Amino acid sequence: MKKILLSISIIVFGYSLNATAVQAESDPAADRAVNLAKQFVKDNNMKNPKINMLLNSLFRNAIPDFIAEWKGLTGIDVHTEPLGYTDIPSKIMGEAVAKTGAFDMFNDFPYTAPDAAGAQVILPLDDFAAKGKPDFTGIPGAFLAQQRYNGKLYSMVLDGDHIMLVLRKDIVENPKARAAFKSKTGKDLGCPATMADWEEQAKFFHTKAGQTRWGIKFEKPLYGAMAYRSVNFSHRHFPAYFGGLLFDKDMKPRISTKQGIKAIKAFASVVKYMPEDIQGWGTPQIYPFWGSGQAYSVMSFPSIFGYANSNPKSTVKGKQIPCVIPATTAPDGPPVRRAAEAAGTSYMVNAHGKNPELAYYFIQWLTSPSVGSRAIAHPKGFWDPYRTQNIGHPGILKKFGPEFLKATMENAKYTTSLLYIEGHYEYMKVLDNNLADVMNNNLTAEKAAAKIEKGWNRVTEDIGRDYQIKVWRKGVNDGLYVDKF
Amino acid sequence: MNERVTTVADLRKDGITARFSAWLSQERIFRWIPFVMVEGMIICVLIIPFILTIYISFLRWRANRPFEQAYLDGFRNYEAVLSDPGFWLSLGRTFYFAGSAVILELIIGFILAMLVHRIVAGRRIYITIFLIPMMVVPVVAGYNFSMIYLDSGPLNELLWPLTSLLGINPRIRWLSNPLAAQWAIILADIWQWTSLTFLIFLSGFSALPPQLINAARIMGASRAQVFLWVELPLLKPAIVIAIVIRSMEALKMFDPIILLTYGGPGTSTQTIAYYLWEQVWQFNKFAYGAAASILVLILFSVLIFVGIYLLGRQSEAVERGEV
Repeated sequence: MKKILLSISIIVFGYSLNATAVQAESDPAADRAVNLAKQFVKDNNMKNPKINMLLNSLFRNAIPDFIAEWKGLTGIDVHTEPLGYTDIPSKIMGEAVAKTGAFDMFNDFPYTAPDAAGAQVILPLDDFAAKGKPDFTGIPGAFLAQQRYNGKLYSMVLDGDHIMLVLRKDIVENPKARAAFKSKTGKDLGCPATMADWEEQAKFFHTKAGQTRWGIKFEKPLYGAMAYRSVNFSHRHFPAYFGGLLFDKDMKPRISTKQGIKAIKAFASVVKYMPEDIQGWGTPQIYPFWGSGQAYSVMSFPSIFGYANSNPKSTVKGKQIPCVIPATTAPDGPPVRRAAEAAGTSYMVNAHGKNPELAYYFIQWLTSPSVGSRAIAHPKGFWDPYRTQNIGHPGILKKFGPEFLKATMENAKYTTSLLYIEGHYEYMKVLDNNLADVMNNNLTAEKAAAKIEKGWNRVTEDIGRDYQIKVWRKGVNDGLYVDKF
Repeated sequence: MNERVTTVADLRKDGITARFSAWLSQERIFRWIPFVMVEGMIICVLIIPFILTIYISFLRWRANRPFEQAYLDGFRNYEAVLSDPGFWLSLGRTFYFAGSAVILELIIGFILAMLVHRIVAGRRIYITIFLIPMMVVPVVAGYNFSMIYLDSGPLNELLWPLTSLLGINPRIRWLSNPLAAQWAIILADIWQWTSLTFLIFLSGFSALPPQLINAARIMGASRAQVFLWVELPLLKPAIVIAIVIRSMEALKMFDPIILLTYGGPGTSTQTIAYYLWEQVWQFNKFAYGAAASILVLILFSVLIFVGIYLLGRQSEAVERGEV
């Protein structure tokens, strides 16, 4: 009898939990998107409606579940064309010229949006949003501002890719290592407060193969630090060192200032504690190397934390401490933390697509608080938490853990956009190339800054200085960069 | 089974078809058909895009503005290209990569062809093995090399005895040290395209007239003399062909760069093909890219004409029996 009663109470409790979950998932913005999409199909008498998406291939394994759900809710199918993220911007800009209408929506980093908006290949979404009333609550400032360009809504974000620092917990908590560090530096070991503190830790823990330290014999070297330093990636980390606006109010580059020189030097200095060929590494090299346990710290996209905890080959599972981005001391005044939104993915509607309105409704549904949280919690997905609604979601808690969530949401407060104006990729390439020359000792920081300034001015002139100034000022005022003039 | 087979007679019953068929079969019309088809294709795929490229090169237009807003701006793009140090550095690097790669491909291909030509047993197996790299899709080759060149990868492991003997850091940063990255690109190209020079030289060796070689030997020439004074001059056309074909291809080097270094570190592995791709497809500078392409075309055309002239001279020499 007791067993029967217990079973019944478990079933009732389970049902109530489930009901609570469903209730918690109630999301008016998602529901509106579904209803408006269904109404649109009905009003236009569409048979077997289908929309096409150019998809960042990182999401190819997770998105099918959401497409199936959307199709179940609305009857609208979504066909995806996965492509590597390096190739997507050129496809979008190619579409601006070719106007094929092959895709109804694009999934890419937000930094493509300014060029795409200028080329009129992506649609302003304000009219659709007026109908759909999307829910943007809980989205931190820079993410929210990145959805708009030049005053119009062009994209919707579903990914927090602001860079953060991760340390090795097993080393930080090693009593001998802690004591040695304290005696050497007079500081307690833990998440570094500033970039200089991080470099100090990197220097201390940088260990050659064969050495025995703190009772541990290092068969392989332990690198003090890791971070992205390759072409097309360096610029994503640079704002953390610079800690301010890259241009003044009139688009005059601020890179040659004392702050800029200091930032370039700090950016290059920590490289000596990184693997020797770090300048040739991207995510496929950095993530597994971190998982192999051969580094003390890594500055990276947040997903590295989940990767190292879930990858079967990882030797650092459960041995990580997520840290808020260390502060830079480059600007005059108190240290500032700036976690660049280094990648992140958002969704845009093709102006030449066949079903822009349906594409918009799908985007509103996918990026809504409830569906978005489920996407972030998806075990095969690479979306990272970014909005307050993500914190309490049980799936996200299970996937990322409370410690990581606390750090990443704190980090989100310091999130700053990369340069969000037309010509983004060209401006950033100028920066990357010259940073590489400094890291390779081919240029001094001062000479590199002068070259960067010249290169940036050339891009500004080529696109149109007056236009760039207008958009730059608007972006700063809208809160894209945390910093103000 | 009752299907009726259409005959020529049936077609002739149809007035229009018959008249068209009769018109086509006229000698003066029929002989134009291949010409019109070929010329039509050339106009569509070469002439029109070429004229468009020239037109675009005179526009003030980046793809982050609609094409409708583009306007003619004289030689501004040409001036911008010619005053960009990046353009000249990329061009210089292209000649450096192509020159180094082609010279080594010629030497290695020649030696391999000479050795294989002299081998009797298992010759086909060697030929097949040496031709495999050329058959590998460049993307696959690129990814393989990206693994080989890893800091802790097999190449450094392989070189370890040598580098440790010479006191060099055994962890050569193949893809992140500017000089090593340049040679990583060159080596990848050599691995893939030595097959072609090998093939050209092997056909050259196979075509050597045995009576001349035998005559030289009978007259008392040593093996080295036969090679230097008989075989090598006879192989000159094959050498010129290999130089011209490989140089033209190597000047367009792009795949290994995009797959291995993305032009980095810095700009140390940027070739002219990469530079053009980046300006157009990464920075959306379509008009600037068009102007740069035209300038590159002019420069390379001169080289190609020199190559064609050399080839022509060799053919004439062969026809005259001078070689």
